Amino acid sequence: MKNNLLKSVFFVLLLFPLTAAAGLFKAEEFTLDNGLRVVVIENHKAPLIKQMVWYKAGAVDERRGKGGCAHLLEHLMFRGTPKVKDGEFNRIMNENGADSNAFTSYDMTVYHQFADISRLEALMALEADRMQNLQFDEKAFSAEQKIVFQERKQVVENNPSAPFSERLRLLLWGNSPYARPVTGFSDDITGLTAADVRDFYDRYYAPNNALLILAGDIDVPTAKELAQKYYGGIAAKEVYHRVTNNTAENFEEKLQMKLPLITTPKLVENYKLPIYTAVKGSIYDYMVLAEYLGGGQTSALYQEMVVQAKTAVSVSADYHFTAAGNSVFSLSAVPAQGVPMVSLMIALREARAQALKNLTAEKLEKVKKKMVADLVFANDNPEDAAYWLGYMLINGFSLEEAQNYADKIKAVTLDGILKAAQEVFLAAPVVEGILLPEGEVESD
Amino acid sequence: MIRHPKHKGVFYYLSRITVVAVLVFLGFKIPSFYKSFERIDVEKILDKSVLKDKKLAVKVQKLQAGKLSAYFFEEHSNPIVSVSFLFENAGTAHDDEHKQGLARLAAMLLTEGAGEWDSQTFNSLAEENGVKLSFAVSADDLSGTLAFPAANAAVAEQLLVSALTAPRLEDSYLQLAKQQLLTALQKQNENPQQVLNNKFKENIFAGHPYARNALGKAEDIAALTTDEIRKYLQDNLTQENLIVGITGDLTKEQAEVLLQRLFGGLAVSGKTAALPEIDFSAQEAEYDIPRESAQVMTRLAAKGTRRDNVDFYPLYLANYIFGESGLSSRLSKNIREEKGLTYGVYTYLSFQNAAVLIEGGFSATPENFAEAKEMLKTEWLRLGQEGVTEAELAEAKKSLLNSFYLRFANIDEISNMLVSMQKYKLGEDFLDKRNDYIREVQLREVNAAARKYFRTIPDFVNIGNKKVEEK
Repeated sequence: MKNNLLKSVFFVLLLFPLTAAAGLFKAEEFTLDNGLRVVVIENHKAPLIKQMVWYKAGAVDERRGKGGCAHLLEHLMFRGTPKVKDGEFNRIMNENGADSNAFTSYDMTVYHQFADISRLEALMALEADRMQNLQFDEKAFSAEQKIVFQERKQVVENNPSAPFSERLRLLLWGNSPYARPVTGFSDDITGLTAADVRDFYDRYYAPNNALLILAGDIDVPTAKELAQKYYGGIAAKEVYHRVTNNTAENFEEKLQMKLPLITTPKLVENYKLPIYTAVKGSIYDYMVLAEYLGGGQTSALYQEMVVQAKTAVSVSADYHFTAAGNSVFSLSAVPAQGVPMVSLMIALREARAQALKNLTAEKLEKVKKKMVADLVFANDNPEDAAYWLGYMLINGFSLEEAQNYADKIKAVTLDGILKAAQEVFLAAPVVEGILLPEGEVESD
Repeated sequence: MIRHPKHKGVFYYLSRITVVAVLVFLGFKIPSFYKSFERIDVEKILDKSVLKDKKLAVKVQKLQAGKLSAYFFEEHSNPIVSVSFLFENAGTAHDDEHKQGLARLAAMLLTEGAGEWDSQTFNSLAEENGVKLSFAVSADDLSGTLAFPAANAAVAEQLLVSALTAPRLEDSYLQLAKQQLLTALQKQNENPQQVLNNKFKENIFAGHPYARNALGKAEDIAALTTDEIRKYLQDNLTQENLIVGITGDLTKEQAEVLLQRLFGGLAVSGKTAALPEIDFSAQEAEYDIPRESAQVMTRLAAKGTRRDNVDFYPLYLANYIFGESGLSSRLSKNIREEKGLTYGVYTYLSFQNAAVLIEGGFSATPENFAEAKEMLKTEWLRLGQEGVTEAELAEAKKSLLNSFYLRFANIDEISNMLVSMQKYKLGEDFLDKRNDYIREVQLREVNAAARKYFRTIPDFVNIGNKKVEEK
């Protein structure tokens, strides 16, 4: 339901490259005269449709001191227009059986519904209306401001390790807007005004700054006709351009934090890599490297540290990219009972070196095979396809490249992956974070 | 949704006449001006839509292979197959009192090597063939999912069959699983929501195995042996307590062969038994757990009804209107949307084998908590006393009817649904009848259920209540 998606969006997006398999979708794109980019993904297994509108505007586009603005706007988008009064939007969605929700992230704000195909025109009318006519009163603003404040408390601050995660983020991103939490800090939220939110809406919400995805039981001619009918009349406007934030730094930061209520120590290493556009060819090398090292229990680090040496009970690797900032390669591990943090750190370093030494062309083939073997499932649920292509396209990938995911993975070579490993582990700035229970003996 | 309005009222025609009249008087600049203030008329849009209602054939077939039976949904749009299965009464609440953690450990070990394959080979084989195999345990049952590309059916079959009938249960993996379980058990204490979940069960199900920690007990886990796990598997993984749902790109004949191959090697019967039933009724009790956290969180419980009880559909609709329809529920509208007291508030009907409840919860900062809880209680009793309106019921029915096909988006979910249909004995033709079940519910039935189940306030278990800490 709504809350689950809203509260997990940050994680949804981080985990996406691992969970949503891309493949060859039956997809086509076109652009309306007002600049609205439209992607149609045909899937006729059931009379269902997923509509998603992805705005290229998120938390990184907020003005300084206005943290949480993009997210508060996302909430207010459900509060009506001159044509749909407050409360009506949700009622119409409910009555039509539409699963309606939205999420905000650093680089994007996304509104979406999943519904019976017979409902689509109503969904499009409502979505197009709030793209241009948002109108909320003071009462709605005040209520939503309180709701997002409660959301921050519930989703972030109830988690006892949140101060650790937020501090790690700050160290990694420094002065970049990616350093801030998407929710904003509590003080940011209470300081926001209706004018701030309106300002963000006016600057970024326009058809020429959005991507419409229609995935499901629809054909391209019908999609074209309906997109033109409902969105075609919305005027394009000048939108603010995002400044890319790709800093070339050289640092090695360490963070050790002891927090009350924490029972289980944790080690995190975040390596800061260039913006993906600068290394576009090699993002697949990073993805395969992450999968080889720490993608599940067959991965090299898991086998070495969890199964063989028994220094950890879990270990994983992850690579993710942002639209306008650096990309990040992460390792994380939880020590086995009785293993001190300092031993875990040494074990991780050694296991990593050993894994790279052991990597052969044959092993690489197996990793790549496993990354593409279940892509056939990507065409099952039209929602998965919509999320996958939306995420890639809003991050700046062409439809063609997103469609060729499997080939891109298959093309990764041993040299490529070893070069990627050097870039990550020998050259990249890194933040090493250690989370400990209160009362735990220092690790160094 | 009214798709074909037959009786248009006098105001409809009057408004038409007015529009035409205005156009005649003011010329061509007016249409766009008029249009910009026009309310969006959803019914009109849907009425004129080029996209009409489409029917999906939702035919469920019954499979029979020897003594094995299953439900099957044929779906050829993608070359994939999904099998959901469940061993009834094999869950964590069925562990012996001094072996808490046994069912979960067993489930963890089923994918750690079987037959000729060690763990690494077993899991690599699955991954490289796109085979997704996993096991899970609830308090009631042990369940599993097998999904695979149709082209790799042979490997998928071998993996599941060997996991079920020849798991290796190697000591090194037993020790690893124990460590992981103990770490998870310890980590539960970090998260106030998990602490609340445990305390909630302890209070609501006191004295019953449902009160146990779902992960087990540290000292029991440490002492469990391979022999005990082997015995658990023999007693619990049998044809007698097995329920299977199959969906995907195969024919009925192929599905019956698959059913036989996957589960034909299991023992015919074992040793499982139902738990004593709990006849829960709330005592208007409140339990507070002192804890430092940003918000106070609460979970509530009241008496519910069984899936096959005549009260089910009326209560389902009453509760849908009250707390289960997302942002449109009464609770969300009043406590969240109107007052901004919480990020989310909800109720739902829960159906465990031995206990059926209305459950719910929310969280709010300490200064909001008492007010939000009072509002929830007031709304609860108002539902009991006044029931719902005709308009609310109509909206809820439309919502449930219009969203019917959403459950067919993904084959794993269809297979799970087939399992539920058998578990709750809804019948092979349930999907054909479900919309009629919803349509036929009468307002007076909904309000009778509301009176019966929302008469007195539920029990609450709260965590993070600062007031308690100060005492």
